[in-house]
Amino acid sequence: MRKILKSPTGIIGVILLTIVLFATVFGPWIAPYDPQAFDARARLQGPSMAHWLGTDQYGRDLLSRILSGAPSTVAFGLGATILGVGVGSVIGVIAGVAGGRTDSIIMRILDGMLAMPELLFTLLIVTFLGGGTTQAMLAVAVTFTPGMARIARSAVLSVRTREYVLAAQARGESRAWIVGREVLPNALGPIIVEATIRVSFAIMIGATLGFLGLGAQPPSTEWGLMVAEARQFMFRNPWCVAVPGLAIAITALGFNLFGDALRDAFDPKRGH
Amino acid sequence: MGSRIRTDRGKPQSEAPVLDVRHYSMAYDTEAGTTTALDDVSLMIWRGETHALVGESGSGKSTLAWAITRYMAENARDTGGAILLSGEDMIGKGRAELEALRGRRIAMVYQDPSSSLNPTMRLGEQLTEVLIRHRGMTKTEAWVEGEAALARTGIVKPAEMMMRYPHECSGGEKQRVVIATAFACNPELIIFDEPTTALDILTANQILDLFIRLREETGVAALYITHDLGLVARIASKVSVIHKGKIVEQGDLETVFGAPEHPYTRKLLAALPRPEDRLALPAPTEDTPLFEARDVGVQYNAPGWLTRLLDKSAAAHWGARNITLDVRPGELLGIVGESGSGKSTIAKAATGLNPFEGEIRFVGRSFASRDAFDRKYRRDVQIIFQHPDSSLNPRETIGGILSRPLKLYKLCPAGEVRQRVRELLEMVLLPADYASRYPHQLSGGEKQRVAIARAFAAEPRLVICDEITAALDVSVQAAVARLLVDLQKRSGAACIFITHDLNLIRQLAHRIVVFQRGALVDAFDVADAGSPERHPYTQALLNAVPVPHRPEDQPDLMEPQA
Repeated sequence: MRKILKSPTGIIGVILLTIVLFATVFGPWIAPYDPQAFDARARLQGPSMAHWLGTDQYGRDLLSRILSGAPSTVAFGLGATILGVGVGSVIGVIAGVAGGRTDSIIMRILDGMLAMPELLFTLLIVTFLGGGTTQAMLAVAVTFTPGMARIARSAVLSVRTREYVLAAQARGESRAWIVGREVLPNALGPIIVEATIRVSFAIMIGATLGFLGLGAQPPSTEWGLMVAEARQFMFRNPWCVAVPGLAIAITALGFNLFGDALRDAFDPKRGH
Repeated sequence: MGSRIRTDRGKPQSEAPVLDVRHYSMAYDTEAGTTTALDDVSLMIWRGETHALVGESGSGKSTLAWAITRYMAENARDTGGAILLSGEDMIGKGRAELEALRGRRIAMVYQDPSSSLNPTMRLGEQLTEVLIRHRGMTKTEAWVEGEAALARTGIVKPAEMMMRYPHECSGGEKQRVVIATAFACNPELIIFDEPTTALDILTANQILDLFIRLREETGVAALYITHDLGLVARIASKVSVIHKGKIVEQGDLETVFGAPEHPYTRKLLAALPRPEDRLALPAPTEDTPLFEARDVGVQYNAPGWLTRLLDKSAAAHWGARNITLDVRPGELLGIVGESGSGKSTIAKAATGLNPFEGEIRFVGRSFASRDAFDRKYRRDVQIIFQHPDSSLNPRETIGGILSRPLKLYKLCPAGEVRQRVRELLEMVLLPADYASRYPHQLSGGEKQRVAIARAFAAEPRLVICDEITAALDVSVQAAVARLLVDLQKRSGAACIFITHDLNLIRQLAHRIVVFQRGALVDAFDVADAGSPERHPYTQALLNAVPVPHRPEDQPDLMEPQA
C-alpha cells in the first residue's frame, strides 16, 4: 500500500476511489433532496445554491440522484467483476494446471467467445436473459470470463515451470497442495491487478447497457440510465448529461489508476 | 589503498594510452539515497594491450563498461574523475558525437550473441550497417568488405553466412559475426563483456583463439570483462580486480596472480577449483549399486495423431537415449557435458519430472515409469536445482520451506519441527533466525544453502545436484561444494553432481560420466581422467579448460577460508 501511495498515479487513484466509495456508502443518507421528488418549477436548471449540480427534466435534484445512484452503479461494477474474475480465474487455473488436451479444449472454446466484440456479446446475452440490473450484471460477468481465464492461465503457466514447483513435484506433493500453496499465491498478482482495471470496464459497459435501455429501468438512479434519459434534453441543460457522465468517468478513472499503481507495486522490476 | 595499485607498466610511456580512466566515480540516485557504483576507478590501456577486469556479480565491472561508452541509466551520475579515449574527454561529449564514435572508435561485444543480434535482419545487413554508417561505403562495397571481415573470423562460407538470419546459426557462429562487426571499423578500443560465458566450453575456446589472433592482426586495445579467473591467464597481460566498485588490485598478470597482495584477490584465487585439491570423500568400498538407470530414454514433443497423419516425418525428439549408469552408496558421480546434452533431462527423469522409457532401479526395487515412483522413493531421491532465485517459493518463509519435507514424510513429531528446522539451518551454516525470513532477503549463495538443507531434510540416500554451483560466484561456489561434501560425509548419501565445470567435478567426484547429444559417451574413474583411452570428446573437453595453478609463493593460500 505504501508503494501505491508513492506514485502520483496511485495517489490520484486512491483519492478518486475514496470519493466514490464515500458516495457509495453514505450517498443515500447525505443526499439533500428525495432523488425521485418532482419539482415542476425547477426543471432543467443549471447549478445554483439550491441545486448544486442543477436539476433534470422533471426538476429532480441531480446531486441527490447521483448520490443515491452510486451504490447500485458501483455494486454493479464490483459484482460483475467479482463474478467474472472468479469464474474466469477458476477456469484459467484448471486449464493451466491440467495442461495437455483439457487445456486445449477449454482454451479453444474461450477463444471462440473472445472473438466476439465485448459489447455485442453482452447484448446477445442480455437478449437471452431479458433486461434488468441482475441480468445485465450476469451478462457482463460472462463477457469477462474468457479474458480473465486467459490471464489466469498465463499466470499459472509462468509459475508452473519454476523450480520450486518442480521441487514440490519431485518431493511427491499432492496436486492440490502444489496448486494451492506453490502456484496460486504466486500467480495471484496479475489476476488481482487485472480485476481492478476490469471494474471500470464493467461500470462503463453497465452504463452503456443502461443507456440502451437493457440494464436498469426507470426511475432507477443508475448513472448510465440517467445519461440515457436526459439525452433528449441535452441542449436545454447540458448538466443533466454531463453530471452522471462525469461521475462514471471519475469512478472508471479511479479504478483504472488504482489498478495501474497496483500493477507497478506488484512488479518487482519497477520497485526499488 | 593507493599502495596496492602497482604502477610499473611495461609499455613505453611516450605513447598516450588508448583508454585512460582517471579516478572515476559514479553513483546511482535511488529512492533510498545515493548508491556509489564506482569509486575512484583508475585504469589505462595501451594499443595492442588486453586488460582484464575481474570481479564477481555486482562488483561494478559492467557498470564501468557502460560508463566508458557513456550508455548510462537515467539515475546514474558522474561524481568525479575523467574518462579519456586517446586523450579526448568522453564525459563532456554530446549525443551526436557519441553516436558517431560508438562502433567506429569503441566497439562492444556482449555476453549473449542471440540477444545482441536483431532476429529480423540478415547477418550481412547487420554487419554492413556499421561499415555504411561509419566508413561511408556504398552498399556493394560494404557487402564485399563484410564478407572479407567474416572470412577473417574463420567462417568457412562467408557469402552464405551473410544471407542467413540469426536463428539459422549456432551460438559460436553468431558470436563470430558480432566480433567481425566489432572489428569492422578498426576501432581503437573494444570492450568484451563476458563474451564466452553463454557459449559451450569448446566453442568458447575457439572464440578465445579467434580473439587472440584478431588482436595480434589489428593491434586493438581491449578491455576484457569476466568473472572467470582461469580464462584471464590465457588472454590478458594486465589485470584489475574490482570489488564493490573499487579496484582493489591492479598490475601485470604474473604479479597479480603469482603474488596477490589484496586479501580479496587471494580469496578469489583460492576459490578456483583445482583438480589436484581433492575434496571428495574416500571412494566407497561397497560394489552393490544404490541407483541404477538401465537403457533410460526421454522423449520430448511427441507428435499427436493428427500431426502424424499430416506429416509422416514428424517424430519425437530424444532428450536422452539409452542411458545406463549406476551410483554406489556414498559415491559422488559427476555428469558433464555441454548444454543440451541431456544431463538435466536424466536428472528430471530420475526424480519423476520427466516421463521416461527403460528401467530405473533403486535398492533392489525396479521402476518402469515415473508413475511407479512412490513416496518412499521420492523421499530417498532428492533433487537440488540450478537457480537459487527460483528454487524457493518467494511467498513462504525459510522455516516454512524447510519444514515441508519434515511434515510431508512425517520425519519428526509436530512439536519438534521448529527445533529440527533450526538444526537444518545450522547444518548448512546459516543463522537459526533465518527461519522467519523470506527468500528475497537472502543472497544467492544463502538461498542455495537453504535448497541444499531442504533436500537433506528428507534424509535421502541419493541427492541429485543439477548445476547447483553454475549461477554462483567463484568464492561462493567453492563454499557450497565444500558444504555438499561435508553433508554427504555426515549423512552417507550418494550424490549425482551435474555440471559443466570440469575442474570442479575433478575435485569432487569419484567417477565421471560424459554426455554428448543425449548419449552417454564415456565413463571413467577420476584418476583416469588423463588416460589416453578417453573418448575424443572427453579429451577435447578436458583440453579446453585450463587447469589453474597454485600461486607458488603463497603456500598458505589453500588453507580453508573462514
